[in-house]
Amino acid sequence: MAKTKAAAPRKSTAAAKPVRKAARTVARKVTEPKTARRLWLSYPPEHIKEPVIWQMSQRFPITFDIRQASVTDKIGILCLELEGASKDVEAAITWLRKVGVRVEPVELSALES
Amino acid sequence: MSSQHSSSPSHGATSHTGFMKALKCRECGREYPLTATHVCEFDFGPLEVAYDYDRIKRTLSREVICQRPQNMWRYRELLPVAGEPTVGRQVGYTPLVKADRLARRLGIRELYVKNDAVNYPTLSFKDRVVSVALSRSVELGFKTVACASTGNLANSVAANAASAGLECFVFIPHDLEQGKVINSLVYGANVIGIKGHYDEVNRLCAEIAGKYGWAFVNVNMRPYYAEGSKSMGFEIQEQLGWTIPEHTVVCMASGSLLTKIHKSYQEFSKLGLVEPTKWKIHGAQATGCSPITTAQKAGLDFFKPVKPNTIAKSLAIGTPADGFYALKVMKETGGYGDDVTDDEIREGIQLLAECEGIFAETAGGVTVGVAKKLIASGKIPKDSSAVLCITGNGLKTIEAMAGHVGETHDIRPNLREFEALLNQDKTQLLQA
Repeated sequence: MAKTKAAAPRKSTAAAKPVRKAARTVARKVTEPKTARRLWLSYPPEHIKEPVIWQMSQRFPITFDIRQASVTDKIGILCLELEGASKDVEAAITWLRKVGVRVEPVELSALES
Repeated sequence: MSSQHSSSPSHGATSHTGFMKALKCRECGREYPLTATHVCEFDFGPLEVAYDYDRIKRTLSREVICQRPQNMWRYRELLPVAGEPTVGRQVGYTPLVKADRLARRLGIRELYVKNDAVNYPTLSFKDRVVSVALSRSVELGFKTVACASTGNLANSVAANAASAGLECFVFIPHDLEQGKVINSLVYGANVIGIKGHYDEVNRLCAEIAGKYGWAFVNVNMRPYYAEGSKSMGFEIQEQLGWTIPEHTVVCMASGSLLTKIHKSYQEFSKLGLVEPTKWKIHGAQATGCSPITTAQKAGLDFFKPVKPNTIAKSLAIGTPADGFYALKVMKETGGYGDDVTDDEIREGIQLLAECEGIFAETAGGVTVGVAKKLIASGKIPKDSSAVLCITGNGLKTIEAMAGHVGETHDIRPNLREFEALLNQDKTQLLQA
């Protein structure tokens, strides 16, 4: 079995290339640092009717998991977990802040007096 | 500075858990082992220590408490340690001062000041929460403790860690005043200045707490840490002759102290240590950082985060972790929230100092200033009795009063000049 596997790429250079490419892709995905962030999101009233989380999921390749939500006509509060490549999660958080959503870790006031 | 990152703690619950039963989610009620963890895995709600009150009731009585040394550990069954405390064994039992002169100035029948400005060892109520957090950290096998702070908490963690021989990391904003930095460095703590704004410091600390095997007192140790505040409430009740005060005014940063004083009144009532009576707990904030009192006055159940801008730095938390629960306590007990400006804070500090000889930090000025407002408006009736919780010493925030308390009268060393000074018009003297 090992011999057959090792020999296979040598049969055709053309056939071997995609295999190597795929391997490289997998390797990149595996080594890319992953992260999961637990966050409180607060929406100002003007964003309450906008599908902000859906928009975020369309822009960034991350998963979200909503754990708590409270929406009134004055404020929207959402507790969720974002998971994905670190750079994508950070980019999503930056985007959320840019559109006016306040983002805090679930720990909230880690910095005390 | 040590380069070791992990202290190899057990992180597990010890087999002996004292009078604690579990950690319990304040939202959904799910229970967790008594480890270094702080949020529910299901709804990310905060965890709180649950106790075996039936066992405590069989063990704890007024007589038992009175036989013990006068420190916060005389109520140890109601504090989250499995065995004997190992850190901060002399903390607490600060004076409850009957403040008659201040009562007359504020126009209330009876007033008391719970004076944690003289708490041991670092002159703030933080020594209570820190000694509990570090004692529990030792029980869980931690060798390194940490916190993120702008002052009192950093000083207390550094001092108490030093006394217990624990490695200590303190994270502070890089531009913090020199005095506050020295108050942590002197104890041999590793002090890390973070170049970033509040949000970034907050995020970094949450990440460090998640990644390293350290006891972060107000992050992964928060359920234990917060319970230490109850001791202030236990002492108030005992010092008032085993009664619950009608009104208690508490300053709010995260809002945790207010909720825990309420819990202390509930626990003593439940255990029959005091006669269950009605009580009201009022919250005090600085106008420059008043997310909780603004929500309370608007009749809201939630707060909107704010960017702090006040001289009361020790209360400057724009996103208070226990804000929601503090609002709930005020609502349940019929208490009120109010806030005071920087000038009113200074006036409150001076009033307390001149009437009672107690020099409180800016948070104390907030408490006195708000009490004055609540009494004047009738929200605390003039014929009632109230306790003001003073949480820190004025020597920590001298800069807030500089230029606002008058000046010295300098003379040459002879009697003639002194008598000339005495004979000056009194108004002139006061203006000087």
